[in-house]
This record gives sequence, C-alpha cells and structure tokens, in this order.
Amino acid sequence: MHHKLFTHLRLFLLLAACLYSASVGAQSRAISGRVLGFDGGALPGATVLERGTTNGVSTNADGAFSLNVQPDASLVISSVGYTAQTVAVGSQSVINVTLAAAATELNEAIVVGYGTQTKADVTGSIVTLTNKDITNAPVQTFEQAIQGKAAGVVIENSSGKLGQAIKVRVRGTSSVSGDTQPLYVIDGIPVQTDNFSSTSAPTNPIADINPNDIENVTVLKDAAAAAIYGSRGTNGVVLITTKRGKAGATRFNIGYQTGTSKATHLREFLNGKEYVELFTEALKNSGRSDASNATRFRGYAAGVTVDANYSVDTNWQDQVFHKGSFSQYDLNASGGNEKTKFFISGQYSTQEGILVGNKLQRIASRFNVDHQATDKLTLGANVSLSRTQNNRLPNDNAFSNPVQIVALAPITPLIDPRTGLTSGAFDPATGNPNTNFPFYYNPLLGIQNNAATYVTYNYRALGNVYGQYEFLPGLSLRSEIGLDLLNQDEDQYLARVTSRNSNPTNGYGFSAHTTSGRFTTNNYFSYRKTLADVHTIEATLGTAYEQRRSTGTSVTGTQFPSDAYRTIVNAATFTAGTSNSTSNALLSYFARVNYGYANKYLLGLSARIDGSSRFGSNQRYGFFPAASLGWIVTEEAFLKEQKILSFLKPRVSIGRTGNQGFPDFASLGLFSGTSGYVGVPGQRPLQLPNPDLKWESTTQSDAGIEFGLFNNRISGEVDVYLKRTTDLALNAPVPGTSGFVTQFQNVGNLENKGVEFALTTRNFVGDFTWSTTVNASRNLNKVTFLQGQPVLGSFLSRAQEGFPLGTFFGAEYAGVDPANGNALYYRNKASGDGTNTGFIDHGAGTTTVVDSAQLVPVGDPNPRWTLGLTNTITYKGFDLSATLTGVFGNKIFDGGAQFYSVAFNNGPDNQTRDQLNRWRKPGDITDVPKANYLSGNGTANSSRFVRDGSYGRLRTVTLGYNLPAGLVKKGYLQSVRVYAQALNLLTFTNYKGWDPEVNADYLASSGTLGSVTATQGNINQGIDFYSAPQPRTITFGVNVGF
Amino acid sequence: MKKIVYVLATALLLGGPLASCDSKLDIKPVDSVAADQALLTSSDVEAALVGCYTGIQNAEAYGGYIQLMSDLLGDDGEATFVGTFIPPNQINRKSILKDNGFVSVIWTNAYNAINRTNNVLANLDKLDTPAKKARVEGEARFIRAAMYFELVRLYARDWADGTPGSNPGVPLVLTPTKMIDASSQVARNSVAEVYASVISDLTTAETKMLATSAAGNIFANNSAAAAMLSRVYLQQGRFADAAAAANRVITAVTSTGAPRYSLNASYVDEFFSGADLLPNSNEDIFAIQNSAQSGSNQLNTFYSPDQRGDIFIEDKHLSLYEPADDRLNLFTIGTGGQQSYSDKYDSQYGNIKLIRLAEMYLTRAEGNFRAGTAVGATPLADLNRIRTRVNLAPLAAVTLADILKERKLELAFEGFRLGDVKRNRESVHDPAGVVLPWNSPRLIFPIPLREISVNPKLTQNAGY
Repeated sequence: MHHKLFTHLRLFLLLAACLYSASVGAQSRAISGRVLGFDGGALPGATVLERGTTNGVSTNADGAFSLNVQPDASLVISSVGYTAQTVAVGSQSVINVTLAAAATELNEAIVVGYGTQTKADVTGSIVTLTNKDITNAPVQTFEQAIQGKAAGVVIENSSGKLGQAIKVRVRGTSSVSGDTQPLYVIDGIPVQTDNFSSTSAPTNPIADINPNDIENVTVLKDAAAAAIYGSRGTNGVVLITTKRGKAGATRFNIGYQTGTSKATHLREFLNGKEYVELFTEALKNSGRSDASNATRFRGYAAGVTVDANYSVDTNWQDQVFHKGSFSQYDLNASGGNEKTKFFISGQYSTQEGILVGNKLQRIASRFNVDHQATDKLTLGANVSLSRTQNNRLPNDNAFSNPVQIVALAPITPLIDPRTGLTSGAFDPATGNPNTNFPFYYNPLLGIQNNAATYVTYNYRALGNVYGQYEFLPGLSLRSEIGLDLLNQDEDQYLARVTSRNSNPTNGYGFSAHTTSGRFTTNNYFSYRKTLADVHTIEATLGTAYEQRRSTGTSVTGTQFPSDAYRTIVNAATFTAGTSNSTSNALLSYFARVNYGYANKYLLGLSARIDGSSRFGSNQRYGFFPAASLGWIVTEEAFLKEQKILSFLKPRVSIGRTGNQGFPDFASLGLFSGTSGYVGVPGQRPLQLPNPDLKWESTTQSDAGIEFGLFNNRISGEVDVYLKRTTDLALNAPVPGTSGFVTQFQNVGNLENKGVEFALTTRNFVGDFTWSTTVNASRNLNKVTFLQGQPVLGSFLSRAQEGFPLGTFFGAEYAGVDPANGNALYYRNKASGDGTNTGFIDHGAGTTTVVDSAQLVPVGDPNPRWTLGLTNTITYKGFDLSATLTGVFGNKIFDGGAQFYSVAFNNGPDNQTRDQLNRWRKPGDITDVPKANYLSGNGTANSSRFVRDGSYGRLRTVTLGYNLPAGLVKKGYLQSVRVYAQALNLLTFTNYKGWDPEVNADYLASSGTLGSVTATQGNINQGIDFYSAPQPRTITFGVNVGF
Repeated sequence: MKKIVYVLATALLLGGPLASCDSKLDIKPVDSVAADQALLTSSDVEAALVGCYTGIQNAEAYGGYIQLMSDLLGDDGEATFVGTFIPPNQINRKSILKDNGFVSVIWTNAYNAINRTNNVLANLDKLDTPAKKARVEGEARFIRAAMYFELVRLYARDWADGTPGSNPGVPLVLTPTKMIDASSQVARNSVAEVYASVISDLTTAETKMLATSAAGNIFANNSAAAAMLSRVYLQQGRFADAAAAANRVITAVTSTGAPRYSLNASYVDEFFSGADLLPNSNEDIFAIQNSAQSGSNQLNTFYSPDQRGDIFIEDKHLSLYEPADDRLNLFTIGTGGQQSYSDKYDSQYGNIKLIRLAEMYLTRAEGNFRAGTAVGATPLADLNRIRTRVNLAPLAAVTLADILKERKLELAFEGFRLGDVKRNRESVHDPAGVVLPWNSPRLIFPIPLREISVNPKLTQNAGY
C-alpha cells in the first residue's frame, strides 16, 4: 500500500492518507435535552457539540436534541448571537441549557483565510457580517445589502441600472492604474470579479451569487489580516462562507417576496412654454432672425407652428422611467446526520429596473455537503450553478441611453402627426428613420417594441471539493481544489428604426461569447496546540496555485432580411469579428503563526510569497510579511474585580500587502498583428517592455481597540490606520512623440489614512429589545508621488501629487458679469511646478476666457465621512430594523450640465429649470450667464458644474412578524415570518441631479474593455452623466419553515 | 510509519510546486508576439509597412479627423459643426482649449504612425531583394513625411508666418522607440527643420518607390510622393517646384505608355458609387482604403446626413457654385428652413480620396500662373479641364482668383481649407464675427495638454 503514496499526485494525498485512519471504538451513551434562549424561548438550530470532537447535532424546532457521547464528555452549546456554553455531562442523561445573549460574538469562530480564529483572539482588523445583514434584501448582489454596515468598507452603485459594476473600497483607493476592488474568496476559493462586459459599462460578476446562500461575510482590512493573501491583499479581502447543513431533521425553508420600485428622484426640466421662452431669448441674443427662429421651432414641433395656442408639452422623462418590479422565490433544505450534512438551495429572482427595458433574472442553485468519512478524514463539496440574464441598457453616454431623452424639446410631440408614429421613427422623404427630427435620436425608438436589445446571459459554475485529514489531534492537512467557470453570451440587436447617427444598415447585430475559467488549489497544514495550559499555538503552512484562462470571441453583422431576424447567422454582411485570449498563473507559499499566552497576550505572524506570471522577468516573486500584537486587558487580574469593563483588547499590527491587478502581459514588449489593411496582413508595435514591472507594495500599520462595557451591553471597536502604497504599477503617460501613450511602470506613491469607529449598544433587553449599531469611517486619500506628472481622467478628474485621487481640477467659476451676462472665471495663480495647474488667488482677477484661468482644485469626489446606523427593535413576534447610511463631504461633477444647465449656450437641449435665472439685463445678479445660442458662454467644464454630493439615506427598513409557534404548529410548520421592507425609502441631499450615489458607467471601466483605461476608471469618481438614479424598492415577503 | 507520511506530505506539498514553478509562471501571450520576434524576416517588415498604412487609415489621421479639423478650423461660415462632440465644436469656433481631445489624439496617432514607419526604416536590412528594400523604404518615408507635414501645418505657424528657421515646429523623431527614458522627452524642431525632413523623405521616396504600388493601387507609389511634394512646395510658395512636381504626376505613364491617371468622367461618381463601398478610380493617386471590416470613414460619420449629419453646409458656400455645376449634385440642399448637407461621403465604407488628379491640375495651374510658366500646359487649359468635367463653360482667360475659387470648390471638404487660407493669406471670422487673419494664433492647434504635462521640453503655442 505504501508505494501508492509515491505514485499518486499530491492532490490525491488525502485519499491515500485515509488508509491510515484508525477506527472509532469506545463505549458511548445517549443523552438528550433542550436549549433555550435568554428569553426562555426554544432555540432551534443551536449546535450541540461534544467538546474536542466533531460529534454534534443541531437542536430541532423545540430546541431539543439527543446525542451519543463518550464518558466524561463535555458539551459545547452554541448559537449565533448567543454566548456559547460548555457543560460537563458527568452522570446526567438530560441536559437543559439556557444560553445568554452575546453582545459581541467573541467566541465565535470566524474565517480568516486558510483557517479560522475566534474573534477574541484576532489581532488584525476585520469586520464580520452575518446572513441577517444580507438575506432577502431586495437587491441583486450581497454588496448592495451590506452597504453602510461595515466601517471602512465603502460601497457605491454606479447608477440605478441593474447588474452594473459596484464600487467597493476597503480603506480607500490604493491604486491608480490597477485593480481597486477587494479580493473575493468564496468558501476558500478566490473567485473572478473581473468585468467581462463587451460594452464600456462594466458589469458585476458577483451578481451570479445568490445572496441568500451566504452564511457570513468577513472583510479583512489591515495588513495583519490580509497579508496572507499576499500580492492581492492591498484592497482588502472579502471572505464569503456559504450556508452549511446541520445534523438533525431535514429543515425546509420557502421564501417569497414581491414588490415594486421607482426612481428615488427625477430631475426637473423646462416645460414647453418655458422652453420656447428661454430658447427664443437665446436665439435672439445670438442674432438669429424671428423668421429663422419660427422655422426652427416649427421643425422641432413636427411641422406645426409654435404660437400661443401650441399646447404640446411632452415630459420625455416620464416616457422612459416606469415602476419596476421585484420578485424572488427561494427554497432551501438542510440537514443530515452526524456523519453527513448537506445544504441545498434554489432561487429564482427577477427584477425589472426603473428604466423601461432593464431587467435582471437569476436562477441559482447550490449544493454543499460535508462528510465525516472517518474520525480523521472529512470530505466535502460546495457547488453552485447559476444563470443570470441581464437585459441591459445603453451606456450613459449613448444617445440611446433612455435618460438622455431629457435632451429632447418638450415642444416635440411624442407621436409625429405627419406619420402617426413615434417622433423620429420614419422620414417619408427617405423611407428611413428621421435623421434630423427630433434634433437628437429619440431613445424611445429603441425601447419600443424591443427594437434595441442587449441581453447578457451568464452561466456560472463555482465548485470546490476539499478533504481534511487529522494526523494528530491538532494537526491536520486540508486540500482544496476549486474551479470558477464563467460563460457569458452577449447578444445585441438594433432594429432598422434605431439607425440614426449610423448609416441605415438594415439592422445591426453583435454577438460575443466569453469563457473565463480559474482553477485553484490550496494545500495547507493547520496545527493547534496548547502547552502547559498557557501557551496556545496556532500555525498554518501551505501552498496555493491558481491559473486562469480567459477567451472571448465576437462577431458583428449588418443587413438582416427583416427585424424578425436578430441573430448574426441571418446577417448578409459581417462587419467585424475578433477573438482574444489571456492567461495568468499565481504560485504561492504562505505561513501563519498565532501565539497566545494565558489568553492575554497575543502575537500573530504571517507571510506569503507570491510568484506571478504578470510580474516582469526580473521580479518574479514578492514577499508579504505581517506581524500583530494584542492584549486582552480584561483577562488581567487587576480588572477581574470590576463590573464595568467586560472586554478590552488593544492591538497593533504592521505588514505588507501587494496589488497585482494590472493586465496579464504588461511587462512584455509586444507587437500586434491587428493592423491588417483591407485584407492585407499588417503588424505594429503594441507595447514597450518593462522587465522590472512588479506588484504595487503597500505597508499598512493599524492600531485598534476593542471593548465591551456593562456585560457587553455596549461594545465597539476603534481603529486608526496608515496605508502607504509605493511602486504603483502606473499605466504612466509617456510622451506621445515616442509613438506610445502610456507604459506600465512602478512609479508613484499614494497613501490612505483614516479612522474607523463601530459601536453596538443593547438599549433594551428582555421582551422588548432594542439594539443600535453605528459605524463611522474617515479615510484621507492622497497621491504623494507621480514623478511630478499628473494623470488625467475624464472631465476635470485627475491624479495629481498632493491631492486625493480623482480631485477635480478646473477653472474656478466666478459667476456672471452683471454688466453683460458673460460667464467669468477666476484667473488664479499658476503654481509653476510643471503640472499646468494653479492655486486659488482671487487677487489675479477674472476673465471670460476659460483657458486664461488656471486649473485649480475645485472639488474632491472622495467622501470625508461615511456613516451607517442600524436600529433593531423586537417585541414578541415583531421585529423592526432600519439602516441609515450617510456619505458626507464628497463632490460630484455634473458632466451633463454642459448640455442641460447652460441656458442654450451649447445647443437646443432642454434645460434644467434653474436656467430660468439667467442674466437678462445689465445689473442682474445671477450665476446663470446670458442665454446666447451656441455661444459657449459659461459652457466650459469648470467649477460651475461641481456640486456637493453629500447625502443621507434611509437605506433599508424592514418590519417583520413571526407567527406564534402554537399557531404555526397547527399548520405542521416550524416557522412563519411575514415582512415588508423598503430600500432607499428616503434620501436627504442638496444634490439637484437624479441621485447623489452616482458614477457614470462608461467612465468607470474596471477592465481593459472599456472606453476609458483602467487608470481613468480609477481616477473618474463622482461623475454624473445622464446616469440613472437609484431605485426605491418596496417589497412584501413571507418565509415558511417546515 | 506516520512520520513518514508527514515528511512525504510536506515534501510533496512544498517541494513539488517549487521544482516546476518557473515554467508555470512563464506564460506567453497568444494574441500578440514578443517585440524581438516580430521583425525577423522580409515578410515581417513588409507586414510592418502595411501597419503604417493602417496607422494613417485610423480615424485620428486620414480616416477623417485631419481633413475634417483642417476644414472646420479654416472655415469662414460656410460649414457649421452642430454635433454634440465638444472638440470639433471648439475647432469650428476657433476657440480651442488646450485639453481638446481631437487635438490630443491627432497628435498621438500621428506619432504612433511615425514610430511604425521608423520601425520599418530601421529594419530595411531584413528585406530580401533590393527592389523590395527600395519600395518599402520609399513607402515608409512617404507615410512619415505625410504625417510630419500634417503635424507642422496644424500645430505650428505657417511657413510664411515669420521665420521658419526659428519658429517652433514639431519634434522630429526619426528612430524607433525601444524604451522610455529621459531621451523620450524631445523638444520641438523648427518649422524649417520639419519641412526639410519632409522634403528629404518625399524626394527619397519618389526615387525609390515603384511606379505602381505593390498591391494594385491601394498602396502609395512614386506619383503619390510627387503629389505630396507638390503640396509641400505650394505651402512654401515654391510655385515652380510645385508645378513641376504636379506635372510629374500628370504626365506619368503606365508600362504601355498610356497616362497613368485620368479624370473620372463624372465628379459625382468619383465620390459616390450608390453603394456602401467606393473603389479607387483612375483619378485617384492615393486613397485611404476602407471596407466593412477595415477602417472607419469619419468623413462619412460626420458629414453624411445618413449618419450623424453633424455638419450643416451654409448657403454662403452653396451660393459660390454656378447653377450648372455638377458638383452641386453632391449636396442635400435643404429647402424651407431645412439644413443642407454634403453628400461627398455618403458611401459608408467608401475609400477616402486623399490625392486626386484634379488637385494636380489645379496645383500645376496655380504654380504655373504664379511662377509665370506653362510647364506641361497653360493654367487656362488646366483650369478648363476641371470646369468642363463638372458641366461648366470653359473660361476664355484665367486669373489667380479663378484658379483659387475653382480649387476651393473642387476640393471642398477634402481637408484643404486651413492650408489654403494660410498660404493665400485669407482671413476668417469666428462665430462672434471677429476677423481672424491668416496668421492668427487661433488658427493653430495648441500643443496637447497631455503632451505638455509629460514633456516639459515642449513649448506651448502662443495664445494657449
């Protein structure tokens, strides 16, 4: 038998190892009992475990259990939200236990990456959220559910479109050109979160994960916690653990919820009368004749003369926003026996967005199983399969973006009386869609009759199997293999009626297929030992290897026989086709040692070596160490006597993490063969080599204190941190005269420093409970070194030394010259440091020429403070929970304002109502310049369009009622809960746009496919460009357990 | 026994990956090739030359931006940009901001194409026959010269504006970029140095290029080099040289002795085939090739009423044509307050006619007229050739104004306005009615802000 070990691959090591397992053999006896909560009610689902073994069961609906245990056994009884209790069995055969409420889950094991630790022993900065924070939120992804609930974790939707990328920042943005999202790890396997959208608006692959499958989420924030993930730890690590079965009777849970959603807010535009009035003034001021103006308006009004009797007043915005819907069906079952436990779930979720045509549907399934093969060997698998269908909308900057409909004139009728069709649908002169009426493409043409569709199907398989073998008590080897397979089909069709601004091509079809697979294997030893009762040692040592390959193909076709044919096979002309393929590999070695002395003094050390195919040939391996110290002061004798302080743990840490989130082959000098010329093959230089390219390196120090007062009625955590990032892998601008525009170079430094507070208070306990959780974070981001060269984003956004990433630099608007209505800009003073920017000095006077004004910092899109406040009240069967979130001190650049808030100085677009305050005659004091058609007066992008983006939001409110157990039992059920909940019920803001939670999708590219580079995507923050507002969703639901 | 297992497990776990790690991490791209493997053979270098053509086929070069922006900037109220793109709007209003996106991409794309030509020119020794070597060198120099000529006209003062020997032109980069270092920060060469380089490249090109291009008529030949040279001389006011160069093109013959080029019988047919594609005609000396799969005709995108229709043609322009002028048939003329459009670029994937024989006649006519010569033909004969083709009565006598007006109408919206405004010392108006003389700084692009930001050696143009 032994020789098999030599011949088998190491992945089969575990199977071989099981041959050495000894059989169980000892006398056992049966015990039974009941577990009650502190309120005296039965506690179903509590875990009853024979201490030091994996022998255990869960309590049933009555809190009852029965178990066979060894003589002299102790039982550990635990349940989420309660303090675990250990009971010696002794001679008892019936054991009834009442668990106390836990203020902080100090004794709970939490996942920390390649292992678990109890919260009390953790010396790094982490935050844990449970399924209570996630389950049944009326959102598409779990990130949206935990918005505002974790200190130091800032989550922001780009717009109200469904399934779009979500910005998640753990302790600020730590990269300029690289990835800035955290690493996501599901059940031990890092998963792909890259954007695979073929449009310039990124999507979120996490939408493939059913949030209701999640048991808990741990976010690793500081280096001590995240350095075990090495070159991917800088942006934080989100560890997701899915639900697992518990021994006992099979429990079923059925959930259903349904509801509706509408926009949080719509912007106000001029009505027909106001439009004609203000536009006429602008036309006259530009010297145009009354006759030509009348002709113009007649054109806008579909050939009808616009006079005092003209009554068409189209509210275009109302045509594209509608009441969306949400419904979700869940079914899960869990159970098993002492040897085998399972959890299976299925979900069907469908959501219609607040914009017509936007829809997201998800069908998700999961099967998790754990099997105790012998007393030494545990095996298991976690498999999830899902399909997500996303009916997408055009990018924010497309004429066809439904929100851009606001540009159309309110005097343009919805239906063109000359054709009886939607305005723009048909031009009798050409037989094609109208090319100059309305004056822009009418987005309704695409929305109506499904004329323009873009459907993405994601098929996602996430699976891993593990085996864990315990060689000796405390020493085990765990081996995991995981696969994350993502298949994406994208199909677009644009019918004939949408052909404005492109030649009539008799239909346009696009089809893309992407496959991205990542294989991961982790193999690591864990060792736990307590020596002489006071020395506790936990150690982990292992390796990991990951490989990813992504391929994609796409084809574009035109000339379809009719709009009934919508797939490329029916196209007579294939206009484009492409394929792409990329791969990377990561080979890692990691180790961690945690040492505790007398449960008081804690020391943590960890290190990881990462070798990556992305690194240049001179820099293949990076080293990422971390160290941390903690002191549980309340374990000291001198604090044992007092009653006030129930827990106090100061801790400090320092460590290094990396970021390798740049393109796979950025270090290589490359030529591309994509330069064929009408069928003749051609090639061109693509990229210059940089063999020294390596990871971005972040050194983070953290000091924190965790405390509990009055028997943990009040508990909390305060952290301060400093993250210094050096060797930014910057896609640095290079002189264009070189023939190249950018190159990845390790130049540049930035830092994030901040403070985080989290406080939980249990204001009332007993029948009526009220608890409050509040968190607040302040992060200060600053780019400290970019070789003196600013990196420009879109509009006013840029990365510049000495300023937070994404700071808006532009001319400072000085208002309107009362004498003539001209827009004025402060000249300010040039800084003369070669950055082409200046500083504010109003002594230099004003100018009407915007280019004569220095570009000065006019706003910071990064929030000063982010806050979250959750109150939960329960009384008998009722529960009420409300979360308020707040984002303060950030600025928004209103990118569309140059078109819709400029009093017709930039075109015929309908204007926001505030433009009625324009300057009209000498002496008028206003900040809206004189209306002068197409004059450019005040239209330049400047501080004029920088707005305060602060907001407070009643993010979620949930009111639930659990039917009394007696009533439920009559229906042979275990539990019944009905609830109503609201998302984004109220928003408090001074921002006059659609919604302050915004970042134009086409400018926030998180990948290489977007219209902007990843660099610009990171720099571009807080830009509004006809971006859809967030939905306000109200749903009603019911959960039934049996 | 168990100890053996632990040792084995540890050895396999930790030692196994180490042994094969480097090969696992050595992943090569499949969509592109290593730079040091790209230019090894004769056909590699020929493919790199094709890549140079793609570089100027790009939207940001002769795919349309260069011609369109030249015409919008040189426009005097005859064509109005009404689209939502801000950069062309600024250029049309002659109020360009330093961060103008089109100004930036025209610059970076031109230098990208120049670097492609420099890579070809640095690897001529790989070509396996002297004939190939001469042809490839000539074509690469032609493309490089064309880009520098466009750059120096857009981003620097005109040849005749002040002293070309001391006026800053654009940086001359004549070797391929292998790495980015301090030497990548280059200063502007003088206008005279840039012109000298352009003339040197084109002169060499004309001698080395073939009489017919390698693959049918899609690549440039020696006539294209002579034609480009005539443009350069005309811009410098070297009229006799311009006439001579144009004459070389007009008199070029095929191997059978027939004229190499002839005017298309119909002006309209020269520009619109009634289909998506527009092939080269006998009139075309050099055209940017487009197809449904290759290139993007930005002139179609912006001018065509079938597309964005972003450029309104004003009556001021239309009224310049005589009623019988066949060229009027290439306009959609709006009536009853409707807008007018140019239909010159209605073929969606149409080739972009960069150098036509008609231009050569007009250049020879002007060159001869101003130099007082009659190389090849009299100015009157040349001008009447152009007029009779479009159904206009031949003139009995010719003035310089006749020649320049004919040139303006014949070559309208083909990218000639800005250069002609400057060399003929015309003036234009901005939308506010301010008169801008031919040498106004507002008729010169700024050096792009992104370029100044990364290269402190570049000086900005006056007025920015």
